[in-house]
Amino acid sequence: MNIHPSVPGPETAAADLRQYDEAALIDLLEKTEQKHGFIPRDLSEEVTRLLSVKLERLRRIQGKLDSTIRRDVQQHVSHWREEEGNLIMILHAIQNQHGYVPREVAMELSRELGVPLARIYEVITFYHYFKLQPPGAHAITVCNGTACYLKGSRDLINELSSQLGIAEGQTTADRMIHLDTVRCIGCCGMAPAVVVDGKTCGHVKTTEIAGHIASIKHLKESVA
Amino acid sequence: MNTLSRTDLEALAAKPEGDPPEWIRVQLDTGGIAAGAETIFTALEHERADRRLTIPLLRTGSVGYSFADPVVEVQAAGMPRVHYGCVTPEIAARILGEHIGEHRLIDDHIIATRRRGLTLDAPVTHILVKDTSPEAGNKTGFFQFSLAEELKRRGLAERVQVVRALDLGIYDEGAVVQLLPSGVTYTNVLAPDVARIVAESVEAGKVLDDLLWKTPDKQVRIVLRNCGNIDPDSIDDYLRRAQGYQGLHRVLFKLSPEAVIAEMKASALRGRGGAGFPTWLKWQLTRAQPAAQHYVICNGDEGDPGAFMDRSVLESDPHAVLEGMMIAAYAMGASMGYFYIRAEYPRAVERIQRALDQAREAGLLGANILGSGFSFDAKIRLGAGAFVCGEETALIASIEGRRGSPSPRPPYPSVRGLWGMPTAINNVETLACIPAILLKGGAWFAGYGTEKSKGTKVFAVTGKVRNAQLVEVPIGTTLREIIYEVCGGVLDGKELKAVQTGGPSGGVIPRQHLDAPVSYESLQQLGSIMGSGGMLVMDKDDSMVEVTKFFLRFCVDESCGKCAPCRIGGYQLLQVLDRISRGRGTAGDVPLIQRICLTMQKASLCGLGQTAPNPVLSTLRYFGEEYQAFIEGGPSYARKMNKATPTAATSTKVSATP
Ligand SMILES: Cc1cc2nc3c(=O)[nH]c(=O)nc-3n(C[C@H](O)[C@H](O)[C@H](O)COP(=O)(O)O)c2cc1C
Ligand code: SF4
Ligand code: FES
Repeated sequence: MNIHPSVPGPETAAADLRQYDEAALIDLLEKTEQKHGFIPRDLSEEVTRLLSVKLERLRRIQGKLDSTIRRDVQQHVSHWREEEGNLIMILHAIQNQHGYVPREVAMELSRELGVPLARIYEVITFYHYFKLQPPGAHAITVCNGTACYLKGSRDLINELSSQLGIAEGQTTADRMIHLDTVRCIGCCGMAPAVVVDGKTCGHVKTTEIAGHIASIKHLKESVA
Repeated sequence: MNTLSRTDLEALAAKPEGDPPEWIRVQLDTGGIAAGAETIFTALEHERADRRLTIPLLRTGSVGYSFADPVVEVQAAGMPRVHYGCVTPEIAARILGEHIGEHRLIDDHIIATRRRGLTLDAPVTHILVKDTSPEAGNKTGFFQFSLAEELKRRGLAERVQVVRALDLGIYDEGAVVQLLPSGVTYTNVLAPDVARIVAESVEAGKVLDDLLWKTPDKQVRIVLRNCGNIDPDSIDDYLRRAQGYQGLHRVLFKLSPEAVIAEMKASALRGRGGAGFPTWLKWQLTRAQPAAQHYVICNGDEGDPGAFMDRSVLESDPHAVLEGMMIAAYAMGASMGYFYIRAEYPRAVERIQRALDQAREAGLLGANILGSGFSFDAKIRLGAGAFVCGEETALIASIEGRRGSPSPRPPYPSVRGLWGMPTAINNVETLACIPAILLKGGAWFAGYGTEKSKGTKVFAVTGKVRNAQLVEVPIGTTLREIIYEVCGGVLDGKELKAVQTGGPSGGVIPRQHLDAPVSYESLQQLGSIMGSGGMLVMDKDDSMVEVTKFFLRFCVDESCGKCAPCRIGGYQLLQVLDRISRGRGTAGDVPLIQRICLTMQKASLCGLGQTAPNPVLSTLRYFGEEYQAFIEGGPSYARKMNKATPTAATSTKVSATP
């Protein structure tokens, strides 16, 4: 977790600067400039050095990520290399890994397979199953198969939409809850059914919706 | 598992293994698991350990009692074999404590066997009771009490237990009493009968003919033969207890491909995926195409948004589907097969994958299978949430890794299919029938069904029905029998309004046609289709216009957009329906609907667009006055009319038939 220390004063010794984050460091320079009309050379050099160390770290992380992506994609591709028509199966593997198909991964896949990115996106966007956005931390999925529809799944979706302030297929702004609909999940005997984070609840009534949302929110707080 | 040989299979056939004497089977299919079957399994495991019992705890698929999930079946020595439904962890504990430990059945959870006896071939040990009168089971307790009292009076209380059942598979027949283990069942039992039942049947072993329920169960389980009986994750179970791969054995060593096709012709099996094309003919056409490679594909894309037959079969009996595919491949000369399964069915995918791995390990997949010279292997391809990919040409495009847009037929896949090679696409249920047909003969299969539609069909009956469940009946069984006799009629005893069959490509059948036999032809005559087997029961409260909109919106969402009649027509149609349902319709809307529908039917490229208007046309045909009420008086008026008028719906002011 990224904790902002209180902004350091201009007097802070250069030696203590290491614990400050980027914003605090820049702030410090500005405050010093305001107070003295100039920035001591040793201070600015120290800050520059610290920032470049951080930048270097960032590059390293990004580089590592890039190579992980490359390695993962290569792995998926090599697993399916010999198979004709492998694109969809590779996309399944990618979505299984990330929960969606990130743009970076799609780009890497295009390079690896020698298939134009446009063709990959053509396939991704055709099939409902593939997602281009990361899923929320929690998912509420309403079954909208015929049996559930007949027993009022539409009301449940409307109630959820209005309480969460999002439409189906969307994620709340804080990325906490994703609301979606599916076709029959196979418990028509329990219609209407709602799946909350993988747990199926049957015979759901609109009045119970608030409780389900609260239980997720509660979970979120106890984790935070 | 070691590699099997031909002689191993023959030895298994000569000595099929029976059920072990004691076991508990937990039905772990998607529906069961959603209802908590995993928790039940763990609860049973703990309880078994606590009580230091050794009874085997087994996993299995679903028998199809969706209304009672999670379901557990119990066989204990000296006890009748019973299903427990709506099992909670507490009931799980009691199953081990009371059923296994004390040989006492548990009240209110038993789903009685559908195999009912006509003779008392064994002394009565348990009596199931349930009052099935419409005014709820309030008398069940009374009958339990008086039977128990009567038994006590005669000193039989120690020997015979009286148990309240959850479901007896008999409805609206007054108080029903079933004597176990024989399964002799009495209906419309009245209080004075109690003494007779105890004295004559329990004590003297005589069947009371005036009370006896003689109607046999309507169901015949061919496709579902192993569902809920075997462990879907075990090829061993399939081989030993379900005559597994014996159909394949017969085919490989006793029949030529032509003879297999002839056997299929004798069975007259028609495709269960919707279109009803004769399976033997499809195989023959594919076989007749000269090509370097032939393919066979199992269509497990189950698109109907309220149906779960195929998933249930894939999850409960995966080896049967694989065996069916292998037989199809042998008949057609295919050496490669694909299972195209929806990615939304992860458990089905997992179980088919395991079946493939096990079969490969046992030498039932690969080169020169069992030394027969026949080579075959199969793979899984995942669907990705597109209804149109159930259509054959779109499915092929999807397997080839492209977007699933249909292409014009001909050429049919049997001529130019996957990678340009002759390909036969068969539905899951179609394939699951095949091992049984090859084992028992085409004539046996053709013994069920009607003149033109042979065999049995699985239906997923859902909606406003008392017992939502999978039902397998001979084709030709009437809707009334399926809904009222097998599934217990409409929920809460309400009046049935219509039955939707065939999902988004189908139509509604109003109550006055409930006695129509369910077959490809008769349902088509009524303006619907048998389809893949979804059956949605609707009661008086359901608005036909709304339900039609639901199905149409589904088709519009799923249209691939390749051709204009479907892409534009569907959208227009939806807008007109929407307008009508908001009370903004005009008199000209109904003719407009008919024009759009006709265009879509005639000019769409694939089955999706061609059949999308079906729900609209059929509701218009039977419930024209409902549309009229919306147009003339708006939604609230229409709703009032809907509730007020009995749903005879015979007067069709607006007729869809030109
Ligand atoms: C839009 C559309 C969706 C379909 N969906 C399915 C499906 O989900 N499952 C299926 O088995 N057949 C489906 N079919 C029918 C198949 O195209 C094909 O007829 C069937 O799989 C052939 O197998 P069968 O002869 O064993 O029935 C669909 C057809 C269309 C036009
Ligand atoms: S009818 Fe519809 S789904 Fe079929 S090809 Fe045309 S647009 Fe696509
Ligand atoms: S329609 Fe919702 S579970 Fe089947």
